[in-house]
Amino acid sequence: MEQDNQNNQTSANSVPEWMLDLDRVGFVRKLFISRKWYGGDWWFVAISAVLLLFIILVGVFPQWFAPYDPKAEVGPSLLAPRELPPGYSLIAPKSAGELKLEDAVARGSTLGFVYGSPASQALREITTQMNNEAQEQGSKTRYQPRLSRFETVEEGLEAVLSGKINGFIASPAELGESLEKYPDLAIAIDLRGEAAKGFLMGTNQIGQDVFSRIIWGTRIALIVGLSSAIVSFLIGVPLGLISGFVGGPFDRVLTLLMDSLYSFPGLILAISIAAVLGAGIGNIIVAIAALYIPTYFRIVRGQTLQVKEELYVEAARSLGATPLKILVKYIFPNVIPSVVIIFSVNVGDAILTEAGLSFLGFGLPPDTPDWGIDLARGQDYLRRAWWLITYPGLMVTTVTLAFSMLGESLSEILNPRLAEL
Amino acid sequence: MANQNEKLMEIRDLCVTYKTRLGSVSAVDHVSFDIFKGEILGLVGESGCGKSTMGKALMRMIDPPGEISSGQIILEGEDIMGYTPDQMRDVRGRKISMIFQDPMTSLNPTQRVDEHIIEAIQVHEPKTTKENGLGRATSLIERLGIQQRRLNSYPHQLSGGMRQRVMIALGLVLNANLIVADEATTSLDVIVEAKLADQLREIRDEFGVALLAITHNIALVAELADRIAVMYAGHMAEIGPVEDVFDNPLHPYTQGLLSSVPNIKLDDTEELYKMAGEPPNLTHPPSGCRFHPRCPKAMPICSKLAPKFEEVTPGRQVQCWLYQDHPQKETPAIKVTA
Amino acid sequence: MSSSLRRFLITRLLLTIPMVLILITVIFFVMRVLPGDPIRSQLGPRVSEEQADRLRERLGLNRPLHIQYVTFVKDMFTLNFGTALTQGERPIKDELAEKMPATMELTIPAMTITALIGILSGSYAAKNRKKPVDYAIRLISIIFYSIPVFFLGLIFQILFSVRIPIFPLAGRMDTLMMTSFKSITNFYVIDAILTQNWPALGSVLLHLVMPSVTLGLVLSGVFVRLTRVNMIEMLKSDFITAGRARGLPEDRLVYKHALRNTFIPIMTLIGLEFAILLAGAVLTETTFSWPGMGRYLVERIQLRDYTAVQASIGVFAFFVAIITLVMDVLYAFIDPRIRY
Repeated sequence: MEQDNQNNQTSANSVPEWMLDLDRVGFVRKLFISRKWYGGDWWFVAISAVLLLFIILVGVFPQWFAPYDPKAEVGPSLLAPRELPPGYSLIAPKSAGELKLEDAVARGSTLGFVYGSPASQALREITTQMNNEAQEQGSKTRYQPRLSRFETVEEGLEAVLSGKINGFIASPAELGESLEKYPDLAIAIDLRGEAAKGFLMGTNQIGQDVFSRIIWGTRIALIVGLSSAIVSFLIGVPLGLISGFVGGPFDRVLTLLMDSLYSFPGLILAISIAAVLGAGIGNIIVAIAALYIPTYFRIVRGQTLQVKEELYVEAARSLGATPLKILVKYIFPNVIPSVVIIFSVNVGDAILTEAGLSFLGFGLPPDTPDWGIDLARGQDYLRRAWWLITYPGLMVTTVTLAFSMLGESLSEILNPRLAEL
Repeated sequence: MANQNEKLMEIRDLCVTYKTRLGSVSAVDHVSFDIFKGEILGLVGESGCGKSTMGKALMRMIDPPGEISSGQIILEGEDIMGYTPDQMRDVRGRKISMIFQDPMTSLNPTQRVDEHIIEAIQVHEPKTTKENGLGRATSLIERLGIQQRRLNSYPHQLSGGMRQRVMIALGLVLNANLIVADEATTSLDVIVEAKLADQLREIRDEFGVALLAITHNIALVAELADRIAVMYAGHMAEIGPVEDVFDNPLHPYTQGLLSSVPNIKLDDTEELYKMAGEPPNLTHPPSGCRFHPRCPKAMPICSKLAPKFEEVTPGRQVQCWLYQDHPQKETPAIKVTA
Repeated sequence: MSSSLRRFLITRLLLTIPMVLILITVIFFVMRVLPGDPIRSQLGPRVSEEQADRLRERLGLNRPLHIQYVTFVKDMFTLNFGTALTQGERPIKDELAEKMPATMELTIPAMTITALIGILSGSYAAKNRKKPVDYAIRLISIIFYSIPVFFLGLIFQILFSVRIPIFPLAGRMDTLMMTSFKSITNFYVIDAILTQNWPALGSVLLHLVMPSVTLGLVLSGVFVRLTRVNMIEMLKSDFITAGRARGLPEDRLVYKHALRNTFIPIMTLIGLEFAILLAGAVLTETTFSWPGMGRYLVERIQLRDYTAVQASIGVFAFFVAIITLVMDVLYAFIDPRIRY
């Protein structure tokens, strides 16, 4: 300190170099120094940023996280979370005697099951597993039974009886009372299906894994949310800049238009656009994007008007700066912090709107693994299967929360004067 | 005239610090002085010297991230630093009051003038009836030259000068002993400012109220004040009777300050005196005497140790090594005659 | 009435007309100009072209676009909504007259809940800025704002209708009571009181609880944030500091002085909130099978009944414009700077 003073006799500024050059210190260091200053908001931003990174990871690589294909009917219908599906049994004639699994699924054997039954998946898994084991052991035996599908359990059982097929595979649930009618048939072997993966969050009414669906739903939500936000941004921000800068009747008309749109219930506008354009992900993105253009417009225009009046802009203009240069060099940088905040909240809101649209049936095609669609479908099963709506709903909330929290806390830090959106 | 012997307020070793992102700012550093009953004390200095902070500190109205880190403020024999929030609320308005720079924004736009005054009364004296309060408000504003019918007006319906008088009324209504005027005339034009200065003097003469006039307008202080206190970078450089200080400024900063006031008698060849350097960054203030980097009379000791704020003549105190002795100091202290 | 107030009111009133006009134009644009043939998608591919043309003729869709526009605007302003395309060709006006009060009966309590929670929490949070309670309130409000309103509704239904049967699951009133219930204004609460049908009143109120609380809670998230931000700004004002210098207690400063001044910008915010409220109402009505405008709109869109859809959206636009107008007028009366 003494040294500094001796050297800086003329400049009374004795702040150490590194503090003056906070900008040079390094982004990471600056982030940590800010922690004490910004208090709780810093933590909000940090937590939501980490959460968002994770969510984006899940959205970009859903296959790493989802155990099943979201559209495949992998389990029995309406399985509660963590509940184990019942195993599958092979029904064969009593006369066949002791049946061994290797014989049942051997090359020459024909096995039957009901159309769309998960028994097929179980059988497939068993045979795959056995084939892999055989390959490891160096055996040349291959297990590949012929498959026969039937409309009903009875038909299948009849086929076993008449010898058309060697065995029929079904779960106890499917069988129900039917087996009683065939005294000559019995459960020969119990196939423990490779349901080791389990259903973390249960299955829905057509047997799809809820957990896998919500994982894949993240991707859709992020695509729709981010795309629509980007489109709104690309239209709203330039319009706001130009309108605020140019002023005059153009500005007045545009502002009136935007204000009217802004005060209109967004969802209703989105529904109308979506209904007219039809379902499909592109149309949804357009519909939602249209909702947020006025928000960007208003904020950007407001800031443009403010900065336009600043003395340094007037000074630049008097020195002969072109309008474009003023716009790009002076006004736009001032607008960026607010826009970033709006963007973050926008994405969260867009995801919420998209869920709403899908819930009402105006969103994506019905077989898409989307949270809104799942919520709509689950509505009928409120009493029986609470997990159908709880998990998708929690996902929407969490993702929207992460984006909103990020935007909110950033706004507290960057610009405490951002009064309203 | 001021009662020189009766102290109203004693400030001892007051320190106010602000915690900022870049570090702690020492806005007021070990300042001690007295305010006497009925006197007009002018507190002057450059922007950022700490005078406004000083004014707020006297009422303990320093908001986070700032705080009064040490020192005593003794009012009527008691140290108000130890007061509870309730006791402080009693002090504010009743014993010390404050008038602000911008009267338009200092008044509640949704509250009428009479409501302002009556509320202040009722908060401090809850048993006062509305009629009683109204009566007191009326007599007060009439004394200040505002018509009675204005009591029903909202602030935006009054002129600038009237609003300022309403502010003063709020400062007087509870018979405070000290009014802190924080840049009260800065936003006014010269004529209104002069009128206000006169009015403040009249109020002091009539009510016996002490006035701490915080301003950067030295000319106003010369007109209005009995004593003048000069602050620099959080330190009290010099304090003393107005005529004495103006005739014979002791601290080099005061000397520079007074020389830089434009004088109408300056002829074309004389240049305006400019003080070298800039006010220091208070995150890391200069060591020793904070003025030493800019001081034309600086000595080696000035950068090492800070001088004490000592009385050099009855009634005058200076914080400068020129007038104090120290073993490390080579030249002897200058003796000051009254 | 002062001249400034008069000027404000007149300008504001005049401004409503272009606003509504713009909204109606946007609806027209969306309905008629965007790609997609509503008639085709409604009638399906099996209907012959002649029949489709006849329908088009009847609806006036084969006339040049600008004539269509003028007719449309005229119809909207004269409340000539036409008849529903399906469902027995009931006049749309009657349908809307029935559904509108239902929606209002839902949204008004919801708005009240939002305003109460919003203003009180927001002020409290602003007063204690950067303290734990402030962060807690902010976090809770963001969470509420992030929950989809229909999800919250479904959760409430599971918890308070299925698991613990306190509240009814859906609808406006017990179906058994419907036969003996006479409806005059279509505001069931008012009607029940007017006809002194006390059991019905109880049923109506019970049915009202979950939907309005759901909607109110979700919306309160936004409102808390807006109030808090405005209050923080307000608490930094000079007159608050001046009040503190006079020894006014902190509570009085926050809840009387600052709040009274914040009401003014908040009033305009309530007007904007209303748009979000209506959007939420659409979802809430669907979740709780509430027979209001929102559900009607969704229904009509699914049935491709474009006449009804146009009319409904038009009514929504009117509604929004009126509410914003009312809010702005109230604002003018409250703010003494405009009133005097």
